[in-house]
Amino acid sequence: MAERRINNMEKIRTAVAQDLLSGRIDLLLGWEKGLYWWQSRPLFARNSEDLQRLTWDSFCVANLSGYLQEELKENKKIGILLKGCDSRALNRLVQDQMVDRERVVAYGLPCPGLLDPRLLKQEAGLELTALGIEEGEDRVTLTGTKGKSIAREELLLEKCRRCHHPDPVGCDQLLLPPVGSREDRSRFHQVTRLEEIPAEERFAYWSSQFERCLRCYACREACPCCSCRECFVEQEEPRWLGKAHENSENFIYHLTRAFHSAGRCVECGECQRVCPVELPLMELSSKIIKDINELYGEYQAGLDTEQDPPLLTYQPDDPAAFVE
Amino acid sequence: MPRIGVFICWCGTNIAGTVEIEQVVNAARSFPGVVYAGDYRYLCSEVGQKLIKDTIKKENLERVVVGTCSPRMHEVTFRKAVAEAGLNPYLLEVANLREHCSWVHKDPAEATPKAIALVRAAVSKASLDEPLTALMLDVEKRALVIGGGIAGIQAALDIADSGYTVDLVEKEPSIGGRMAQLEKTFPTLDCAACILTPKMVEVAQHPNINLLTYSEVEAVSGFVGQFDVRIRSRARSIDPSKCTGCGICYEKCPAKVPSEFDMELGKRKVIYVPFPQAVPNIPVIDRENCLYFKRGRCRICEKECPAEAIDFEQQDEIIERRYGVILVATGFDSMDLTGYGEYGYGQHPDVLSALQFERLFNASGPTAGQVVRLSNGRPPQRVVFIQCVGSRDIARGQNYCSKICCMFTSKQAILLKEKLPETEAYIFYIDLRTAGKGYEEFQRRAAEEYGVIYLRGSVGKVFPEGERLLVRGVDSLSGRPLEIEADLVVLAAASVPRRDAPELARLMSINSDRYNFFDEAHPKLRPVETHTAGIFIAGACQAPKDIPEAVAQAGAAAAKAVTLLSKEKLQSEACVAKVDPARCSGCLHCEAVCPYGAIAATETEERVRGELLTRTVAEVNPALCQGCGCCTMTCRSGSVTLQGYTDEQMLAEVDALCLQR
Amino acid sequence: MSTALGKTGEVPVNGASPEKERWTPLIVAFCCNWCSYAGGDLAGTSRMDYPANVKVIRMPCSSRINPLFILRAFQRGADGVLVAGCHPGDCHYTSGNYYVRRNLSLFRRLLEFSGIEPERFQVSWISASEGDKFAGVMQSLTEEIKALGPNGKWRDSRWQSVE
Repeated sequence: MAERRINNMEKIRTAVAQDLLSGRIDLLLGWEKGLYWWQSRPLFARNSEDLQRLTWDSFCVANLSGYLQEELKENKKIGILLKGCDSRALNRLVQDQMVDRERVVAYGLPCPGLLDPRLLKQEAGLELTALGIEEGEDRVTLTGTKGKSIAREELLLEKCRRCHHPDPVGCDQLLLPPVGSREDRSRFHQVTRLEEIPAEERFAYWSSQFERCLRCYACREACPCCSCRECFVEQEEPRWLGKAHENSENFIYHLTRAFHSAGRCVECGECQRVCPVELPLMELSSKIIKDINELYGEYQAGLDTEQDPPLLTYQPDDPAAFVE
Repeated sequence: MPRIGVFICWCGTNIAGTVEIEQVVNAARSFPGVVYAGDYRYLCSEVGQKLIKDTIKKENLERVVVGTCSPRMHEVTFRKAVAEAGLNPYLLEVANLREHCSWVHKDPAEATPKAIALVRAAVSKASLDEPLTALMLDVEKRALVIGGGIAGIQAALDIADSGYTVDLVEKEPSIGGRMAQLEKTFPTLDCAACILTPKMVEVAQHPNINLLTYSEVEAVSGFVGQFDVRIRSRARSIDPSKCTGCGICYEKCPAKVPSEFDMELGKRKVIYVPFPQAVPNIPVIDRENCLYFKRGRCRICEKECPAEAIDFEQQDEIIERRYGVILVATGFDSMDLTGYGEYGYGQHPDVLSALQFERLFNASGPTAGQVVRLSNGRPPQRVVFIQCVGSRDIARGQNYCSKICCMFTSKQAILLKEKLPETEAYIFYIDLRTAGKGYEEFQRRAAEEYGVIYLRGSVGKVFPEGERLLVRGVDSLSGRPLEIEADLVVLAAASVPRRDAPELARLMSINSDRYNFFDEAHPKLRPVETHTAGIFIAGACQAPKDIPEAVAQAGAAAAKAVTLLSKEKLQSEACVAKVDPARCSGCLHCEAVCPYGAIAATETEERVRGELLTRTVAEVNPALCQGCGCCTMTCRSGSVTLQGYTDEQMLAEVDALCLQR
Repeated sequence: MSTALGKTGEVPVNGASPEKERWTPLIVAFCCNWCSYAGGDLAGTSRMDYPANVKVIRMPCSSRINPLFILRAFQRGADGVLVAGCHPGDCHYTSGNYYVRRNLSLFRRLLEFSGIEPERFQVSWISASEGDKFAGVMQSLTEEIKALGPNGKWRDSRWQSVE
């Protein structure tokens, strides 16, 4: 396993090095190790020295496509490493005319799912600093815990667990062999559960969640669909929303943010992953996706840039979710 | 905060009878920005309007709110009054105190607080009103008529007679349409060609009409006054400036295909004019079937043509032209009866559609005017007509009544009896609908003078028996089953829109009904206009209709078109969408939903870290925008808003209405 | 009557008290100018009767709606919100209501998912000739929301209304 990883790493590095050194791309967006072993952070590689730090492991979670818009202002052509979800985000950005696809070289990395440090910590019962891991094919061994071994599947990030499309789409080249589509096990599991409980309980559930919202807008900043130059929450004219920590305002913020991604959300799960108070934000987008699929036909944003997003088209005999 | 004046109308007792006017006026005085509040018995009267105008000047009002009847009634009136006092007419808001308040709530204790709330909302909105200006648009003094049937011909002639240039576009090689296929017309039994041909010739000779046959509209953009249209004039393969119309080419042409004009009963040559009276009398080569175009050999017509008019190299011509108005008169098709196997249509040569049967009477038709059975060439002894084939058929066809079938079936029965007096004619009908001048009398003549037998009932099956056909049906008056032996069965097929009608509707952004007939703007009051300003409809493309109706509608549509063409300038919509380029991220979702193609990408410049960068943003063309606001629904950042109904104004109205319980 | 409701989520006590009998819901109706607003006008000219607690905001087309208008109405104390437009196929601007149908279907389900009773937000197609439907919709909407009682779920606790 470890050997395979090293081989993979070499494959990736060789491929991108060629393009970077030949001048096909001016910048490579990838990942490098962070301060700790459970962190991999964005890498902005411009030369072969930078490339030595390039990494691809179970913690390369950040969706790098969010940097494209800004970096394209200063670089002519950018190479970018993309997991399945990241590739859909890039396609989404292209469809929203936010990124000129011609100026991007997309390297796809079929993704086996990434590990959730929070779960590692939980399983080990230890601080992460006192812990290490050894990754096998299907299992992960926690070193520092007398060798506790857990199925890899159990340790995946929430967004990876519900991912059903781990292979990148629309990339210029795939750097690793495809992993194939995953069984869609929990994509709408929680949504269905919430749909079934009485309205009052549902309201209580969301109230207790949104009450904790800090309005830090990390969810918005991480979202590849949130491409507005000035978000509605910050506008003064009109003043759509106040800034106070008031529950109705928090409700409106989250529902509107989710609704603004209706038909556009690529399910990268970054909103939920970056939330400092762990709000279950993916449930809002999943709810909308589930309804789109039910009412207007299966649609996965970011898969096909030629297909009309469901809210920008219609059929004369569309069903309605109200008594007409 | 602008200085706002509020005027509450009593509307006699219409409002004042239910709403306590004084309370509303007093409440209005306390609303932010209101510097004047008053009331009057009839604000829409001249004296009432003068009160508004005088007060605007006296109180230096910057915004005006009237509490009156519905804005759909008098908004225009009060805008005019406000403008006469020197204010921009869009600095006016109307609170609907009559239709939406005093007339629907009987209790003053309920109606009065609601009236106050409505005025409060109007004041809130008014305080955010901005002056708006409509554009004055040029009108191209040229009309496009699509469809060269009787409706299109009539409309083109009427517009041309008014002095405007008309381009008449017809898909087929000749104008004339369905009427040209008819032998006689009801209820006068005029020969169709005798009354149509002079009009066709008039079209060809009219100095103001530019006839484009064998041509189709490919693209329409623009808006009322300035429609930009692309027309493809298909290659006839014949040089019209040389062709003398002698007809030698089609005499000599060796290839034959079924004739569309004869409803596929007869054959035509591959180089052809559809019928002898065709206008223009210039043949076309049907390139799909021409031996030379198919196999590269033949060119007999070229050798035979004394005028050397044949041009195999001729290309389609693309005409791009601007029109002030478009008039659509594309007519109808006879419904395809393939789904009616039980009548033996398409299986037995003696089962015909009505339009096919009509061609048998015509001297230049497939049988040279002999009414015979196509199976054996002998005259029929008995003909059974079946009405409502496809019409009024909820299960398989069209729910509607095709309107003309009762009459043309009686007409065909009379023609039959005149030609073959000994032949029996039976007509199966569901109801006989003969509303029209002389129509009822005509049908009675068929029954009483000509002895046509009318049977109320339906036919279940037609099948061959020996040399004849057996028609099995039910007489619904007696309830008895019926079996009639017949030599010919004629089916009155439903009238349906032309097959390409949906495509044309899409090209022009006009509405269609569920059957694809084009929709009029209002079923009663705007019967020849469409929802798209500057586009008019006439004839059977709107719904089945007979010739006099189609002609009347064509005249009406032409009059509407001429009214528009006669204007020097047209005023555009003032309440149009507007993009804030600084806020717009250029995703162009708005462009995708705009029904008028009024939104397009444009470049904007901005300075990023000292460097000038360009980026794409959306831009609204105010001449095209009709002010629906659909774009605003797609804009997440509120970068596009609708003037007159801005986001601020909508929120202000919501806040105001919710302020008071 | 002051309607400061305290903390969001606390619905005022509403048993079968006479207070509740007297209580009328506040309903904001967004109506398109060409069909539904005109239908409202027809209800007026036909002297139909419907509850006065329904207040109409006129828009050129139902597609001028923004979900934030609806959320704002709830936040400011509306107990119910209606969006009304032309019947599908009859939009004055050809296609606005088709987009509305998709948008608001999803939005309505999202609102319901957040815990709002679906009766509180409704969409209806009312043509210019359907004065009776206009009055009927206003009547039944009022009754449905009356049965639910005041909406406290979304109310901004700082917002005060006047009588």
